[in-house]
Amino acid sequence: MRHRMAAAVLALCGLLVSTYLLLYKLGVIGSMVCGAANPCERVQASRYSMLLGVPVAAYGVGGYVVLLALALAGLQASQASRPAITRWLAGLSALGVAFSLYLLYLELFVIHAVCRWCSVSGVLILAICAVSLGGLVALSRAPAP
Amino acid sequence: MADAGRSLKPFYLLLGAIVVVGAVLIAVLAGGPSMPQVVSSDDCPAPAPGSPPPQGVTLGPDSAPVQITEFSDFECPWCARFAILTEPDVRQRLIPTGKVRWRYMNFPLPAEEHPNTAAAHLVAACAQAQGKFWEMHDVLYMNQNDWAGEKNPMRLFFQYATRLGLNTDSLRVCVASKRPWPEIQAEKCEGIRLGVQGTPTFFVNGHKLPDTSVPAYDDLAHMVDSITAATAAHPAARRAR
Repeated sequence: MRHRMAAAVLALCGLLVSTYLLLYKLGVIGSMVCGAANPCERVQASRYSMLLGVPVAAYGVGGYVVLLALALAGLQASQASRPAITRWLAGLSALGVAFSLYLLYLELFVIHAVCRWCSVSGVLILAICAVSLGGLVALSRAPAP
Repeated sequence: MADAGRSLKPFYLLLGAIVVVGAVLIAVLAGGPSMPQVVSSDDCPAPAPGSPPPQGVTLGPDSAPVQITEFSDFECPWCARFAILTEPDVRQRLIPTGKVRWRYMNFPLPAEEHPNTAAAHLVAACAQAQGKFWEMHDVLYMNQNDWAGEKNPMRLFFQYATRLGLNTDSLRVCVASKRPWPEIQAEKCEGIRLGVQGTPTFFVNGHKLPDTSVPAYDDLAHMVDSITAATAAHPAARRAR
């Protein structure tokens, strides 16, 4: 259960970060707090901040909502000893890590600016992946009910 | 799984606390862009000898026989009425004939009358730097009721900019630097020099239309037809102008 609690807390933090990025992209927020040269705004102003006509941050919001919902569902007593939800958490967060690495590549080698808030999101999704994998290991070692 | 049966209430309280702290942080970090400190002045120095008059923003060919100049204020309701009801017809039916060159000149009224107009003119001029003046012009007039009463309309202006596909990063730099403001002020001064006392004010081939007149499309089309007919009949008249 603890790994799912940790995943829920991390997903909620990720949801808040990606919401902040999305609000900026939608123009609700006029400027971002991101250091003197404001590399976050440079990244957000680049064409890579949109994917298939949708802001990349929106995918982050959607992804974290799904992870949060899964983690909370996994906390219910009926799901406690079942590894399926943890497998989903691990699989989806691994996809998120891969996507974050792709975005980091774009920031470093194409846009030449690193968005700190995007990096925070990357660290959070990596942490969700790590605790989920740890949870899978723990579940596999637990005695059958 | 010994902890599976424990109450989750403290955990849910923790999540709630994170949501509250996060929302407060976003609200604090989300302070919208500040209003540019620009003041529309009626004190105009005499233009330097030989300096070209301000050009405004134009539509239509240079060589058009009818030159129409509009002095306008983004926060003025009559200007919005003209922009929404008449100007689309002007652009779709009059400009393509090649007979008309339309010139928009900024004439921001004092902040006491229209507190947000200077910022709106600045945003539109910065949109012009990205080739989207007319798009921003239309959005500002269409949504005038929304932003005119705002204490800080910049948040809405940036929403419009995002909707129009403007590079908001560049726009933000432009607005913060107030780079286009001298040109905006120069256009206003040109209006004052020509006797503009309110907005919108129109000049057709240099002749000011009566202050009470916000022309309808048919009036403008009739004027254009009369002038082009007269020019065709007396080409010398055009050369003499």
